[in-house]
Amino acid sequence: MAEKIREEKGLIVRHRIVELIEHWAIALSGLLLLLSGFFQMPTANRYYFTSLPGLSWSGDFFVSLNVHYAASILFIAAALFHLTYHGMRGDMGMIPQKGDIKTSITVIKSFFGKGEEPPFHKYLPEQRLAYAGMAFIIAMLILSGLIKTFKNLYAPDMSLTVVLAATWVHNIFFALFVLAFLGHIAAILLKPNRPMVRGILTGSVRLDYARHRHPLWLAEMEMELANEIPAPMEQAPAPAVLLEDPQPAEKVDVIPAPDQETDPSGKKEQS
Amino acid sequence: MKNEKTPEISRRSFLKAAAGAAALSGLTLPKAVHAGGGKQLASLIDLSLCDGCSDREAPACVSACRTINKDTIPPIAEPIPVPWPRKTVEDWSRKREVKNRLTPYNFIYVHQAEIDWNGQKKTVYVPRRCMHCDNPACATICPFSANHKQTNGAVVIDQDLCFGGAKCKTVCPWEIPQRQSGVGIYLHVLPTLMGNGVMYKCDLCNGRLGKGALPGCVEACPRKAILIGPRADIFALAEERATQMKGYIYGKKENGGTSTLYVSPVSFDLINKTMRKKPGQPDMPTGVERRMAGTDPLGKLVLAAPALGIAAGAAGAFKWLSHRKAQMKEGGKDNG
Ligand code: SF4
Ligand code: SF4
Ligand code: SF4
Repeated sequence: MAEKIREEKGLIVRHRIVELIEHWAIALSGLLLLLSGFFQMPTANRYYFTSLPGLSWSGDFFVSLNVHYAASILFIAAALFHLTYHGMRGDMGMIPQKGDIKTSITVIKSFFGKGEEPPFHKYLPEQRLAYAGMAFIIAMLILSGLIKTFKNLYAPDMSLTVVLAATWVHNIFFALFVLAFLGHIAAILLKPNRPMVRGILTGSVRLDYARHRHPLWLAEMEMELANEIPAPMEQAPAPAVLLEDPQPAEKVDVIPAPDQETDPSGKKEQS
Repeated sequence: MKNEKTPEISRRSFLKAAAGAAALSGLTLPKAVHAGGGKQLASLIDLSLCDGCSDREAPACVSACRTINKDTIPPIAEPIPVPWPRKTVEDWSRKREVKNRLTPYNFIYVHQAEIDWNGQKKTVYVPRRCMHCDNPACATICPFSANHKQTNGAVVIDQDLCFGGAKCKTVCPWEIPQRQSGVGIYLHVLPTLMGNGVMYKCDLCNGRLGKGALPGCVEACPRKAILIGPRADIFALAEERATQMKGYIYGKKENGGTSTLYVSPVSFDLINKTMRKKPGQPDMPTGVERRMAGTDPLGKLVLAAPALGIAAGAAGAFKWLSHRKAQMKEGGKDNG
């Protein structure tokens, strides 16, 4: 199974290596794309970035375009890997669910000391919403970027309507990408979320944190583990795909483990 | 050079112009002119014909272009916002009369080259304007797509969309586009922080072409030194003339290929030696490279990246599926 409890270390595995690689490939190439994309506007020289150490290349549009291309190769490949790989596996943990918007509001209120947080699955409802939002932004950036790249290489006289649409989608979603990135960083900085940072850096989060905040996740995992010992043959592999998010189990009201007070200093993540 | 609308497409006009030129230069028109030429246009500047209009106050091509474009630039903001932090302001509105270089108010000028040619002094006149390149970086990497190559080959800046950042000028090997500060859309956004005016250059008289009229410079030239027509025909004509005069062609390979071919009896290396590259006065190095070609290899990989990602993702998922299948079987055996 993807998630494993390491009682002896007091840790629980939240992300597998492949997911860590996906996240960091997107994150690092995304940052490089923001920077080199910014330099595609004639800003570097005007704002004296070219005089900063290590950024003398920023004023050369062909160098910064090459940097932009290089980063987008990684970015696009990682995004489509993510889509294909998790799509085929049927990983649904980050897909927004019914009621996520309402629950998110409750959760955000609780961040500001109003009311209690509800018990969570592996991902917070706002993480699922943020994921969908970010996925949409990334999809639009990739799509418009591919059109622009194709124009650069093969079709400079492509229909002006298409080029203008691709350009403005790219520019507007560039701005949204910056905002989404800032929002993502802000979410990490929120105290209750901080324990998750460890997850995206090492793959594991503290077990006591998970028990306290993500009891539904642990409950699911236990159910999966029970299912792992397969019933005597017959239809073997197909259901495997459904294991990640067993809807019926959620209806069983799992009582959040009341046993321990979580030390709230820690980290957070999202994907 | 009246702005009267020549009815129907440039082909007929081209024929007229080319026939006149042919008569002048003693050449016959190539058959290709009569064959289908497609929609792409090209122009030819024959330096063996251009005499710089030395008998006139100003070259006819320059005057015609200025007349056509005299109201192209709207009134300039008073005062022109000073950009931050680099305080470059380019204002040509008080120097509109300048004709010996490219400015926002002057899209074509004529360079006079004094050349030692086989022991003889020879003067060659070289009209200079945008080359309307085949894959122009000035257009493809405009961050707002304000500059675009039209299907007829004209590279046109939309002055309503241009922010005047001058990226097009930076990436043009001849630094053709010229900036006028204090006009354009940037005035309505963040004038001191973003943009700095509008870039202007020859647009091949795209508006006139659309109405079936010839570009002003083509129409006005008394020597028929500038021609326009279907691309294939113009290319054939240029080859033919170059062969006839045992001369040279410029613009076929430069910057990755252009749609403006210069034909000259004197080599362009000699002509280029008479040119000192100055703002608004480009030089003419032969074989100048298309620097953007250096980004093509990575660009191709970008286009391949989706397939790479999907293939890797599918491979990973299949591996996982078969692994699970095997596990299931084993589990079944152990249990049973
Ligand atoms: S191209 Fe024609 S109009 Fe222009 S300077 Fe030469 S001869 Fe005169
Ligand atoms: S000559 Fe310069 S401005 Fe004109 S199309 Fe070519 S690159 Fe663009
Ligand atoms: S084609 Fe038109 S815009 Fe260009 S130089 Fe000639 S007259 Fe001027």
